[in-house]
Amino acid sequence: MAKFSLFSEESNRSPLSRLWRKFKSNHPALVGLWVFVALTLLAFTAPFIAPYGINQQHGDALLLPPSWHELGDVRFILGTDDLGRDVLSRLMNGATFTFGLSIVAALVTTLIGVVLGTFAGISKGFRSSLLNHLLDITLSIPSLLLAIIIIAVLGPGLLNTVWAIIFALLPQHIHSVRNLVVEELNKDYISAFRLDGASKWQILTRGVLPNIYEHIVVIFTMALSTAILDIAALGFLKLGAQPPTTEWGAILAENLSLIYLAPWTVGLPGVLLFIAVLSTNLVGDGLRQVLKGRKVD
Amino acid sequence: MQPLLKVQALNKSFCTRAGVFKRKHAQVLTDISFCVGQGETLAIIGETGSGKSTLARVLAGADHADKGQILLNGETIEDDGIRCDECRHIRLIFQDPTRSLNPGLTIGDMLDDCLSLNTELTQQQRDKKIKHTLTRVGLLTEHYEYYPHMFSGGQLQRVALARALILDPKVVVLDEALSSLDPSVRAQTVNLLLELQRESGLSYVLITHHLSLVKHMSDQLLVLNKGKVAEYGNTLAIFAEPKSRVMQRLLNV
Amino acid sequence: MQLLDIRNLTIELHTESGVIRAVDRINLSLKEGEVHALVGESGSGKSLIAKAIVGVLNKRWRVTADRMHWQGVDLMRLSPEKRRKVVSRDMAMIYQEPSRSLDPTAKIYEQVAESLPDSSFKNSFFARGSERKNKVKALLHKVGIRDDKKVASSYPHELSEGVCQKVMIAMAIARSPKLLIADEPTTALESIAKAQIFRLLKSLNQLKNMSVLMISHELEEITDWSHAMHVLYCGQMVEAGPTAKVFSTPCHPYTQALVKSLPDYAQGLAHKEPFYALKGTIPPLQHLPIGCRLGPRCPQAQKQCVVTPTQSKVHSHTYACHFPLVKEKPKCNRS
Repeated sequence: MAKFSLFSEESNRSPLSRLWRKFKSNHPALVGLWVFVALTLLAFTAPFIAPYGINQQHGDALLLPPSWHELGDVRFILGTDDLGRDVLSRLMNGATFTFGLSIVAALVTTLIGVVLGTFAGISKGFRSSLLNHLLDITLSIPSLLLAIIIIAVLGPGLLNTVWAIIFALLPQHIHSVRNLVVEELNKDYISAFRLDGASKWQILTRGVLPNIYEHIVVIFTMALSTAILDIAALGFLKLGAQPPTTEWGAILAENLSLIYLAPWTVGLPGVLLFIAVLSTNLVGDGLRQVLKGRKVD
Repeated sequence: MQPLLKVQALNKSFCTRAGVFKRKHAQVLTDISFCVGQGETLAIIGETGSGKSTLARVLAGADHADKGQILLNGETIEDDGIRCDECRHIRLIFQDPTRSLNPGLTIGDMLDDCLSLNTELTQQQRDKKIKHTLTRVGLLTEHYEYYPHMFSGGQLQRVALARALILDPKVVVLDEALSSLDPSVRAQTVNLLLELQRESGLSYVLITHHLSLVKHMSDQLLVLNKGKVAEYGNTLAIFAEPKSRVMQRLLNV
Repeated sequence: MQLLDIRNLTIELHTESGVIRAVDRINLSLKEGEVHALVGESGSGKSLIAKAIVGVLNKRWRVTADRMHWQGVDLMRLSPEKRRKVVSRDMAMIYQEPSRSLDPTAKIYEQVAESLPDSSFKNSFFARGSERKNKVKALLHKVGIRDDKKVASSYPHELSEGVCQKVMIAMAIARSPKLLIADEPTTALESIAKAQIFRLLKSLNQLKNMSVLMISHELEEITDWSHAMHVLYCGQMVEAGPTAKVFSTPCHPYTQALVKSLPDYAQGLAHKEPFYALKGTIPPLQHLPIGCRLGPRCPQAQKQCVVTPTQSKVHSHTYACHFPLVKEKPKCNRS
C-alpha cells in the first residue's frame, strides 16, 4: 500500500498555504483584501490615471453635482468643488497621500518595531527592564496626542506628520513584537534548536521569526488603520497636510464650509476614509481569526 | 571498563526572588553521581519536584549545573557549570513532541539545520544522512517534505528521535518521552529504542514514572527524592528488594 | 435494573470534505453499581461518547442513536431543558486536567459550596452559612483530604494536581449522582496520586453504589476493579465484555495487541525483549478505512474485512471480527 496517499492534498501543505486556504473561506476578509489591493494600486498610479490635474480649474463648471444628478455633467463624474476642480481626480490623488503615506508609515514602523522589539525580547536583565519601563511610559499617552505633540515640536507639514505618526505608533509596536518574541523563546522547540547548537542569530531567523511573521502582519494592519485615521485627523485639524494638498482629511476640512451647498465634496472623502479603514480592519481581523483557529487545532 | 557517561557530585540550585532585594535559593539537585556504560539504560524515577527534569536538562546541556562534573568517555565535558561540548554527544528528547518541533519548518529542513550546524558535510552527504536516519527510525524518505502538523503523536516522537540520532550521539536522554503516547504506539517506540540500542550500542537515560516500563527497559535504576539520590543500583535488585522508603512507596501503590 | 442503555450511538462530523463518522454504532449498557471501562487510543472517540451522554457536544457534531435510555427515559427525546435537569441530577463528570477545569480565581471553598444543591439544606436561609461550611468540610473529608481548612482556603494553582482532582471528585459527588463519568482522570497525575484517586473511586463505587464509567487509554489501570470493559478502535467497538474474560481470552486482534503491549501482562517476555505491537499507525479521522477499521493494520486481515463485521455475542462477551482469535460457538443472537 502506498503510504504517502494517507495524507490528503489539503493537509500536505506549508503553514502559509494553509493560512491562505482558511483566509479564502472568510468572505468579508477576502472582499476587504481586494479593496485593499485596489486602493494600494490606486495610491501608486493615481497621478497617471486621474482624468484632470489636481489644481486644474474649470471656470465653466463650479460646484457641479455628481454626474448621476440631473444637474451633473458627465465630464466630472463625481462633480466639482467651488473652484471648479474635479472631485474624482482630487480624491484619486488623495489616495496617494492618505493611503500611500500611511502604508509607508506603517511599513517603517513595522521595520523599526521588529528590530527593536526582537532586541528587547532577547535582552535580559537591566537593559530589558530599562527598555520596558520606557515603553510603558510612552504607551500611556494616546497615539494621536503623541503625534500632535511631536508636530507641535516639528511644525506642521505632511512629512512631519508621517514622522510624528511613526514615532507615535512605535511604542505599541515594539511592545507587541517583544511579547511575541518572548513568548516564542520560551517554547520547547527553541530550546531544542539551541541544543542543536544554533547561535542566537540562527534562533531568531530560523526559529522565532518564521513563526511570528503572521502576527507581525496583523500588527501591521492595526498600525495601518491607525495611521490612516491619524493622517486624516491631523490633516483635518490643519496640522498635517496643508491645502491644496489632496489629502482626504485636508479636503474634508477645506470643504467643510460647503457642506450644505455641495455635500458631495465632504461626503465622498469621508466615505473613502471609511472604506480604507474598514478594508484594512477586515483584512487584519480575518488574519487574526485564522491564526486563532490554527492555535485551536 | 570505563563507563561511557560519568556524573560526579552534581549540584544545582535555582534563585528566585522572594522580596525586593531578598533572594531565595532552592537546592534542586544535591550531590548526584552515577555512571552509565555503553549500551546500558539508566532509569531515573521519583515524584514530581524531585528534580528529574532538571537533571535531564543539565545532562543535555540546556541548563548548567553549579558544581560537579560530567564526563563522557573519560573526558570532562562539564566542569562546575562550564560546558565544553561542541560535538553534542548527549541528546535530549522532550516530553511533548508537538511542542518540541518547529511548526514552521519541514522535517527535512529541521534535520538539515542540525547537521549543518554541527558537521562539515556537503549538501548531498547531508541529504543522504537525513534519509538514512529517517528510515532508521521507521519513517519514510518522503517525510522529508512534511511539516510537523501532518504527523500523529507517535510519528512525531519518531521524528524527535530522528533529530536526536542524526548527530550520532552516544547517550540519548528521554525526558518523559514515552508517557504521553498511547500504549500500542508506546510499545512500537520502545521496540524501536531497544532495537537501536542493540544495533549501535546507544545508551539511554530514561526518565519516567511508568514503573513497568522501567523494569522492562533499564539496567540500572536511580531513585531521586527531593534532589538527592535515594537509591541507586541494579534495577532488578531494587525492584526485588527496595531499601529506600520512596521506592517502597512507589512500589506499594 | 439497567441504568444506562445505549444502542447504535453514532456521532458524525460534517466537514467540507464530507461526513466523518467519528463514532460508529456503539452499544453500551450499564447496570446500577457497576464500573465500566471505555478503553481506546487517541482518536477512538471515547471522549466523544462521554460528551454525547451528558449532551455537551457542540453543534458541529450530529448525534444519532436508536436508543439512549437513562433509567427507562430516552434522553434523545427529551427537550434540552429537561435533559439538562436529568443529567445534572443523576450524572457527574470529571476531566483530564483538574487544574484547568477549576475556576482559577475562586477559592476551593466557594467552588465546592457552589456545587451543593439548594435542596440539600435543612435549615432556614439564615442558618445556612455554618451548614454549608460543615457540608463542604464533610465532602472534602469524604474524598480523602485531611487538611480541609488549608485546602478550602486556597486557590487551585496552590494545590497539586492530585488534590485538585480530589476536589473535582468532591464537587462531582456533592449531588450524590448515580453515574460518575471519569474522562481520563489520572493522565496528569503521578503514580502515587493516581493510586489514591483509583482507591477513592473504587470506594465510592462500593460504599455508595455509584456507577462509574471510566474512560482511559491505559489498560493496566482499570483491570483490577472494573466489571466490564469496552474496547474502541477508531470509533468502532471492537470488543466488549467482562474485564477478566476480555483479558484472558481476547477475541479481537486489536484487543490482543493491547493486552500484549503491556509490560506487566506480556509474561514470559525477557528483559529488553521487544513487545508485540501492531504495525502502522492509527489513521486520521479523515482517512478511515472502510469495513473493519483495523483492516490495514490487522495481521489476520482477509478479503471479507472490507465489510464492516457485525457484533457477535457469546454469553456476555461481544466482539466484532470476521475471524475471531478464539472460536467459541456463536449462538446466532446477533444484535
